[in-house]
Amino acid sequence: MTYERGLALCLLLEIALFSAIGWNFFTAGNAGEIVRASAEVGLLALALTPVIITGGIDLSVGSLLGLCAVVLGVTWREAGWPLPAAVAAAITAGIAGGGLNALLVARLGIPPLIVTLGTYSLFRGLAEGITAGVKNYSDFPASFLVLGQGAIGPVPSQLFVVGAGALGFWLLVHRMAAGRALRAIGFSPEGSRYAGLAVGRRLGAVYLLSGLCAAVASLLYVARLGQAKADAGTGFELMAVTAVVLGGTSIFGGRGSVGGTLLGLAALAVLQNGLRLADLPAELAGVATAALLLAALGANRVLEGRNRA
Amino acid sequence: MRLLSTHRRALSVAAAYGALMLALAVAAPGFYAPANLRDVLVGAAPVLVAAVGMTAVILARQIDISIGSQFAICAVVAGMLARSGLAMPLAAAGAVATGGMLGALNGLLVAVFGLPAIVVTLATMVGLREALRWATEGVWVRDLPAGFQWMGLGQDAGRFAIPAVALAVWAAVAWGMRHLAAGRAVYATGSDAEVARLAGVRPRRVVFGVFVAMGALTGLAALLSAIQFIDVQTSSGVGFELRVIAAVVVGGTSIAGGRGTLVGSLLGVLLLATAGPALTFLGSQAYWDRALQGLIILAAVAADAVGAGKRRAA
Amino acid sequence: MNRLRGWAMLALVVGSAACRGGAGGGGGEQGLTVAMMPKNKGNPYFASCRTGADEAAKELNIRLLWDGPTETDPAKQNEVVDAWITRGVDVIAVSVENKEAISTVLRKARGRGIKVIAWDADAEPDARDYFVNQATPRGIAETLVSHAARLLGGKGEFAVITASLTAANQNEWLRQIRAVLAEKHPDLKLVDVRPSDDDRRRAFEETQTLLKVHPQVKVIMAIASPAVPGAAEAVKQSGRTDVRVTGLGLPNDARPYLKDGVLDSAVLWNTKDLGYLTVHAAHALAKGTLKPGVTSLAAGRLGNVKIEGDQVILGTPFTFTKENVDQFNF
Repeated sequence: MTYERGLALCLLLEIALFSAIGWNFFTAGNAGEIVRASAEVGLLALALTPVIITGGIDLSVGSLLGLCAVVLGVTWREAGWPLPAAVAAAITAGIAGGGLNALLVARLGIPPLIVTLGTYSLFRGLAEGITAGVKNYSDFPASFLVLGQGAIGPVPSQLFVVGAGALGFWLLVHRMAAGRALRAIGFSPEGSRYAGLAVGRRLGAVYLLSGLCAAVASLLYVARLGQAKADAGTGFELMAVTAVVLGGTSIFGGRGSVGGTLLGLAALAVLQNGLRLADLPAELAGVATAALLLAALGANRVLEGRNRA
Repeated sequence: MRLLSTHRRALSVAAAYGALMLALAVAAPGFYAPANLRDVLVGAAPVLVAAVGMTAVILARQIDISIGSQFAICAVVAGMLARSGLAMPLAAAGAVATGGMLGALNGLLVAVFGLPAIVVTLATMVGLREALRWATEGVWVRDLPAGFQWMGLGQDAGRFAIPAVALAVWAAVAWGMRHLAAGRAVYATGSDAEVARLAGVRPRRVVFGVFVAMGALTGLAALLSAIQFIDVQTSSGVGFELRVIAAVVVGGTSIAGGRGTLVGSLLGVLLLATAGPALTFLGSQAYWDRALQGLIILAAVAADAVGAGKRRAA
Repeated sequence: MNRLRGWAMLALVVGSAACRGGAGGGGGEQGLTVAMMPKNKGNPYFASCRTGADEAAKELNIRLLWDGPTETDPAKQNEVVDAWITRGVDVIAVSVENKEAISTVLRKARGRGIKVIAWDADAEPDARDYFVNQATPRGIAETLVSHAARLLGGKGEFAVITASLTAANQNEWLRQIRAVLAEKHPDLKLVDVRPSDDDRRRAFEETQTLLKVHPQVKVIMAIASPAVPGAAEAVKQSGRTDVRVTGLGLPNDARPYLKDGVLDSAVLWNTKDLGYLTVHAAHALAKGTLKPGVTSLAAGRLGNVKIEGDQVILGTPFTFTKENVDQFNF
């Protein structure tokens, strides 16, 4: 019994439970809603997987999402740029934000926890400063909103974006030499350096990628809600980290899987959705998530011990 | 010379702090009104108490991001105990004990079960806060006896006592870290747990201990904060962990463990506690506050890293 | 062994889904299902609205679902509404945190035949059937400014403590306050707006700083309910007897400071009645008695409530003072 199989089993149990106690849980429409609601966090979780594999962390992704959303709104509405240019601006902002993290972590060697704690405040603060907290951009054209609200049959449009992202990250982490390099760096940065790996460049790349994903997620978010405001993405980083850890990636680095992250994300999203449909209060979702996380950690530990013995 | 290098970060934080104070003296001397300085200190007292605990936690190479939720629960416990008729000193002890118990939960999961601290405290942060919300539905703890505010000491004595208690705790722990075996054990565990174990330190006990201490100190911080008012808000302490960790890190304690001083943490607390009101005095708009705070954190750690790099190259 | 377990699981899932699949829909039992959402759940203001809502639900034999975000995350309100659409309810009643965002999903709900009411804070007019309004933003602004004007003698400076900088309701009130100042009180000056993030301690500290940075400010207007006791306590501790506080707050929070004299007035409305009225309106809407053209609604113990167009009006803002605050308990 590997950890991932156990997690998949847990997911099935959740589905079974909520099919029984939740109203209309086991329907195609609801499955679509689950995907829609978890798409942005999903992208962030995918991006965080290689980051955590290198032994780092990025707590600034939620705030960067907010900043990119504001950049989108400001360039489109205030500066009057055509929407595609505004989208490009948002993506550039994401890459710039990721670049700042990359510079501080990879170049200056500052521990990622602290860097991203600082940028967590900085990015959100810039978003609030630019909009004075007040401004809220909406009335986006339908061609843009379809990104977040459109569907082909019961399949929501987000699935294509997240699916592409999942495929890309899976290839990166599991099929490319770069992925092996990331695991090596997470296992031992010094050892990797001696082994000839360009540690700085690889580390920098994962943070840049994280910034890019935050930008794409911000597009999905604005399209889904129909508004761009400074508080976009509040709390998303915690959900994303939870999904990654739940998926079996070790927070210490050196080990992890994209498939696990997707399973972890599914487990969380299904939990939240199912509890709501069962008329249970939102606080219970928080407590259940915490319990699930601790149980997952414990199970991982036990399995580790058993495999080693 | 060794003193200088150990306290290198503390010195640069002190320099930054000095620069800020200078700017204030020139542009907004109103900041130096005794009433304002006192208010800043009273406001910083809870953060200082928690920062003392967090310093030990980070020195031991752990982290605790659940203290905000612990803070809320301890404040509510203090209020409820007081409301039930218990004498204030006992209610206060109850709050601190509750904190210790919550810390023990973290300690159990990290030290005994060997789970990673950041994820454990992420889980307890979310779980505890949601559980509290569920139980209280956001309703404040009201109708407290008159002796609750300032522990019955009255406003002037109270506003003196609160920073005094915080400083006393800081001084006691600072002395202990340097002169007691327990203090050295924390540094040893953080530097290299395996070596520490071989040297006779019990790393698991140390780790458990720092989490319990963190919880108890958070309980004390919650108490010091709660007694400034006449009732208890049940959703307090949101973002508290961020403020405390930022202060400790800006003060020079290394996230990798084993390096850092309580002097640095004190300066970090003072710098960040002053930064907020200072910005208002200097005329900054509220909506730039968060960005500036982020910049302060980044500037502090980046300056240190650049400085370390230069020294390495030289 | 693993494979066997796997198949057993799958069978269980399919089986239970088959059993439950048909049992969707709203109040399958007798009575309606009304889903009601506050802006966020950790707020005593909404806790008091809920007591009124529960009272009405019991009277009318309605199944009341009360849920909402626990943090002020704009996306969460949308997700809760989405879940209710999937679940199938008869009426959705939302206190809107983000007008533009929520309107997207409310329109979807209406498209699926679910009735939609906004209460406490409005959505876009085409996204809901009715808005249960306790007071218009303009009315609230005018009441608040009139108190400030009275306290300042028509001329002087005041400052505002708001909720968070992004809070939609407060921003709307601020907009109206500035409009009222420009039109009617050119001698009153709004010096600064500081956020409290709905934290009493933050309101306390911001007020302390305000009093020192702007010593000529004589009135603090706190427009978020945790900010009222926070600001009042700060003024009290500062010993500045020349400064008074006014604002929007719950009478229970305001009482000790009203009695002290630090807080001059707290403006609000009967939150219990607001919740009560909302559920009654939801009931009438679902039953068809509340429809375009109707000008009054029979709302239980509230009697006949006025309806203006698509707004159900609870009344005008009410001012709690030292004299009348003891009559209220919420």
